[in-house]
Amino acid sequence: MPALEQLLHGTALGDDDAFARLYDEAAPRVYGLCLRVLRDPAQAEEVAQEVLVEIWRTATRFDPSRGSAGAWISTIAHRRAVDRVRSAQASGDRERRAAAQSEPEYDAVAEAAATRLEHRQVRRCLGTLTELQRQAVTLAYYGGHTYRQVASLLGAAVPTVKSRIRDGLLKLRDCLEVAR
Amino acid sequence: MSADVHTLIGAWAVDALDDDERAEVEHHLGECESCAQEAAELREAVWRLSDVTIADPPPRLRARVLTEVARTRQEAPEPPAAEPRTARPRLRRHRGMPRLRLALAAGALAAVMAVVGGIVTWSVMRDTEPSRSDQIAAVLESGDAAIGSIAADGGGKVSVVYSEQLDKAVVVLAGLAAIGEERSYQIWMVDPEGQVSAGVMDPGDRSATMLVEGLGDAELIGVTQEPAGGSETPTLPLVAGVPLEG
Repeated sequence: MPALEQLLHGTALGDDDAFARLYDEAAPRVYGLCLRVLRDPAQAEEVAQEVLVEIWRTATRFDPSRGSAGAWISTIAHRRAVDRVRSAQASGDRERRAAAQSEPEYDAVAEAAATRLEHRQVRRCLGTLTELQRQAVTLAYYGGHTYRQVASLLGAAVPTVKSRIRDGLLKLRDCLEVAR
Repeated sequence: MSADVHTLIGAWAVDALDDDERAEVEHHLGECESCAQEAAELREAVWRLSDVTIADPPPRLRARVLTEVARTRQEAPEPPAAEPRTARPRLRRHRGMPRLRLALAAGALAAVMAVVGGIVTWSVMRDTEPSRSDQIAAVLESGDAAIGSIAADGGGKVSVVYSEQLDKAVVVLAGLAAIGEERSYQIWMVDPEGQVSAGVMDPGDRSATMLVEGLGDAELIGVTQEPAGGSETPTLPLVAGVPLEG
């Protein structure tokens, strides 16, 4: 997706228009990921705003030789969303967690995603993983859990989960590359 | 330990590590080229997982982000070579009371410092870097710092220390009139063209220290009472208005 790289480069040069176009390209991905991890539209919106402003602020640090713009943007979004989950857990915010577990938002997300084409390939590739690999990867990524939490959720040994996540991602990498 | 760290790369790529482990892995990646290669490849696969969660954000988010971006300075780029992070010069300030070069009105300043040193409620820029306390110290210490202070309607006081050079201000609100949990105090930058929100205090809060960036041509820092969470436009009359001498 070289267009994204170009917009990010323009953003790094302080070009407001480039950033506005980058916003249009990237905001649904950023917001959707925050929403999936946090499950709460108000918090997702708040975190997405932080992420998008951080993208503007640190676009100057993006190095295309180290990875794609999509990976860079999604990484910032995922990390921020996960940080929010962990700080809510740390502060023992039960109410927030209870609210975060309501399902309707997730259904809305899944429905919106179903209308997009890109997801087919990812779903197919996730299907090449073993059940434990797939569960470990998706609980960690979409659920925002640490691998230790994943282990206790799955009733599996911590070292097993650790290596299943890695094995699963290696398989995912190979599948996505082959199909590209 | 190295083999152990290596197996954590997968969990690192999906942010499933605690802070200590994350730091350990990232340190390891800095030293092991093949590991860094694997980590980068996994990240390229991982981000595709967000293909299935794409969702349209509320339309208001766009205006909010673009407004905030318009008054957010971008970071300096990385130095050309891969220099160690510690070698990068960075202004470090020790914690505690910032020293002041400028002789400001002693009474007003004492009030400002008392609140700046205290616990701070502030929702807009909580996670930005450099740290907020460093940025506040920079405003207070700037060579062109000026101060304005005014009693607020209903009680309390609003003080503003501002620097044209830094294009920033520190607004200290202390002991404003009590409001319920369903109301918030909101701070505005007012210029000849109109006004822009400069931050909203947590509902019910009566005291706060706010860092305001992107003063531009602002002539006044205004404070209003709004429904909890703030409004798009100020609800008049102002609770307080501190003029900025241009």
